[in-house]
Amino acid sequence: MRALAASVEEVFREAAARWTLIAYFALSTLFILLFATAVNLDIVNGALAGAKLFGQTVEIGSRTVDIDRLVLGFESGFSGVLFFLATFLALFATAHLVPRLQEKGTIDLYLSRPVGRVPLLLSRYVAGLILAAANLLYLIGSLWLIIVWKTHVAHPRFFLAGLSILFTIATLLAFAFLVGVVTSSTGVSLMATYAIFFLSAILAAHEKIAAAMSKEWAAKLVDGLYWVFPKTSQLLRATVAHVSGGQTFRGMENVNLLAVYGSTALFGIATLALASWLFSRKDF
Amino acid sequence: MSALPIEARGLRKAYRSSWGGKAVLALDGLDLDVRPGELFGLLGPNGAGKTTTVKILLGLTRPTSGEARIFGIPAADPKSRRRVGYLPEGHRFPGYLTARETLAIFGRMSGVDSATLRRRTGPLLERVGLAAWRDVRVKKFSKGMTQRLGLAAALIHEPEVLMLDEPTDGVDPVGRREIRDLLRQEAGRGRAILVNSHLLSEIEQTCDRVAVLRSGRVAAQGTVAELTAQASRYRMAVSPLDDALVAVLRETGASVTRVNGHLELSARDLSQLNAVVDRVRAAGSLLSELSPLRASLEDVFVDLVRPADAPVPPAPKDDA
Repeated sequence: MRALAASVEEVFREAAARWTLIAYFALSTLFILLFATAVNLDIVNGALAGAKLFGQTVEIGSRTVDIDRLVLGFESGFSGVLFFLATFLALFATAHLVPRLQEKGTIDLYLSRPVGRVPLLLSRYVAGLILAAANLLYLIGSLWLIIVWKTHVAHPRFFLAGLSILFTIATLLAFAFLVGVVTSSTGVSLMATYAIFFLSAILAAHEKIAAAMSKEWAAKLVDGLYWVFPKTSQLLRATVAHVSGGQTFRGMENVNLLAVYGSTALFGIATLALASWLFSRKDF
Repeated sequence: MSALPIEARGLRKAYRSSWGGKAVLALDGLDLDVRPGELFGLLGPNGAGKTTTVKILLGLTRPTSGEARIFGIPAADPKSRRRVGYLPEGHRFPGYLTARETLAIFGRMSGVDSATLRRRTGPLLERVGLAAWRDVRVKKFSKGMTQRLGLAAALIHEPEVLMLDEPTDGVDPVGRREIRDLLRQEAGRGRAILVNSHLLSEIEQTCDRVAVLRSGRVAAQGTVAELTAQASRYRMAVSPLDDALVAVLRETGASVTRVNGHLELSARDLSQLNAVVDRVRAAGSLLSELSPLRASLEDVFVDLVRPADAPVPPAPKDDA
């Protein structure tokens, strides 16, 4: 345990010493500041009397806008933005963990210690997830505090977005680790993981795509890939829906959330297990 | 009987090409033993299998067949490395860590608790000559300093086995002597030390026993004295010296060569050598010098690792 804690600590020290972590938190801070300065709400007796977005007055008219509902809408909308921002930043900040470990002159230093290969790999995976979780907490916590400060409305549901986003990051990071073990390249790991992210989003329309295929095997392939790959598009919608409390489940009516989360989790577990197996058998 | 610190039996390793090409045989049935308190040198030309041997002993690479054990524990088992300190060639410690932090991280990875690490770090950095640099980041270190730090990291958990890959690489002559002294001290404490180097002079000065690898096999093994004695010859100064005496001496069966006013001879054994001396006296010549001529380790090494298709090195020939 002591050895694995040292491995995790080493990842944190590396992250602190390199510009990636600074950039990671700097970009997050920029987003938070942008949000804090862009949104100005004028609330009277629990209702929105006036609003400014990026300095522009938002026309409310004679309608009574329920601030509670408005905040929920805001938070669910922002959880969608955060889904992309936090996932991309987390992958960018952690995709190097395996390729750098496998560098000649570095891997010998770690593997010559009495630490199993699989625990060593998993310790770096856990360290990467802790970094991503810390950044998510920073992002979501700061935004939540700004919203509470500006509206006096506190919705703890906003934090559910963090769990859903962290789940997505965990799945994609497992895939990035697999590519990292095989190729030892940070660039290829990032490109392949972003490709999976977007391809999975496209595959959300697998039924339409499969119907348009002229060959049956091609249609089956599209359907198969949909079920194998993580369901990033549905995860995005589910994240928004969790925060809104089910009010914005549009387009998700026929989606089995358990199947979305379950198959995505299976993809993450399978890729991490494969990465661990390959890493444990690799000659250095 | 307790298990040996390092033990390898019939190690074989074939590296396969990624695209199904011809396999390259790096090790071909290598046997090796290193005993406690022994400084053992592994020599060989590039591609002889030295690095592969060390990597298998550390579990970095898996053998195709055969077995490697550290104190009886299979080398692939991480537990075997609890008692091993390793200094890899061309190692790259994280540049953002200081010397002290490096020892703390890698010491903890070897299972040493923080209190013990605090107690050991200062004296160890002192021993390797880095006490003044303890809080300086590794990226500021010269190659020699990084090598000293690597040695400290290999020793931080007080292992019973040390495996060192080119330990004096990039170290100045004074530093090299300090490292040799340090290794002697560690061997004196009962640690088994395996040194992998292509610097023959370093091995010659440091090691108790040496194995010369050729094409993945041990071509020769023994103490430096034993290895160089295989090609032992003698220098003999006698007067008067003439061709007639040389001819008489050859009758003993020894190989005798006249070189610049003295004789160089190869005797099969001591009785043959004494027979030569008896003939010198019987011929009325006076013996003024008889000393062994040893081949250098380099001579032995070159002879041993000469490619198989190269001409067999000639035995010393008479020129008289």
